[in-house]
Amino acid sequence: MDISEAIKIRNAMQHSGVIMAYNGTVSDDLMVSLAEILKARLEGLDDTKRSRTVFSVFMEGMQNLIWHGRTEQNPTGMVCISEHDGEMVVVCGNRIARSDSVKLKEILERLHYADKDTIRQLYREGMSRANDHEGPGAGLGLLEIARRATHPISYAFSDVDEQHVDFFLSARI
Amino acid sequence: MSTPADLQITATERTPEIQLSASNGLFSMKGESYPEDVAAFYGQIVHAVEQLPSVLNKPLEADIAMIYINSSSIKAIFRIFEGFEAVRRAGQPVTVRWHYTDDDDIMQELGEDFKDRFPDLSIEVKAS
Repeated sequence: MDISEAIKIRNAMQHSGVIMAYNGTVSDDLMVSLAEILKARLEGLDDTKRSRTVFSVFMEGMQNLIWHGRTEQNPTGMVCISEHDGEMVVVCGNRIARSDSVKLKEILERLHYADKDTIRQLYREGMSRANDHEGPGAGLGLLEIARRATHPISYAFSDVDEQHVDFFLSARI
Repeated sequence: MSTPADLQITATERTPEIQLSASNGLFSMKGESYPEDVAAFYGQIVHAVEQLPSVLNKPLEADIAMIYINSSSIKAIFRIFEGFEAVRRAGQPVTVRWHYTDDDDIMQELGEDFKDRFPDLSIEVKAS
């Protein structure tokens, strides 16, 4: 990267109030390291409730990235935490199979329009659901994020090739 | 006396301290829970709790005081609660105290969620 590109990235991050941003290989070790850094940063805030919520959403987001990357040689993902006007935003992104995106989109659509009571009820039902297919949390992680966010979670899919799409999830806290 | 259902697990940065004594009818769990391998960590605990209905000859008291629990650990803890429920059904009274730090909405709500899922268990969700 030439220096003007680096400055552009720095300016964009500064403009968006980025506290922490990562893009690259994801692993359990990385999650633990980032969690430690984030915890230290959040301790500086007075709002312990918000800090706990941000931490929880970050952890579920990271675990989701790791889970989705488990079959890949070099699993990658991005996570970005920013603060602006007293609001924090956690964004996670990773590449998924196009075939998986159809069902995911349906779930996200449903969650986007669900009220807090409905999400809590879905969460309670999800607590007992076995871990067979969908992942270590089998959808509970997504419900955790939806439940903790102060606004409906938003998402985006961006085309990569015939088999893949990039998936981004954003939660405001 | 140590029974097969007894446990003494020291806390790590990402796994809770867990104690189980069947002879004293006590279970406790405190700390954080986001193990790298949830099945490996909770397997032995779930197994020990599942044995309680056949080894316990007194009431069970459980204290749970967690700071952070990730979603996959919640599913494992759900199975521990199923073990408590089996103890109750086998005829021993069970008291669960779910402790949360005063302003911790997340842990408070999770305690309420467990209470909702196990309506026949005596679960007290309390700030401490």
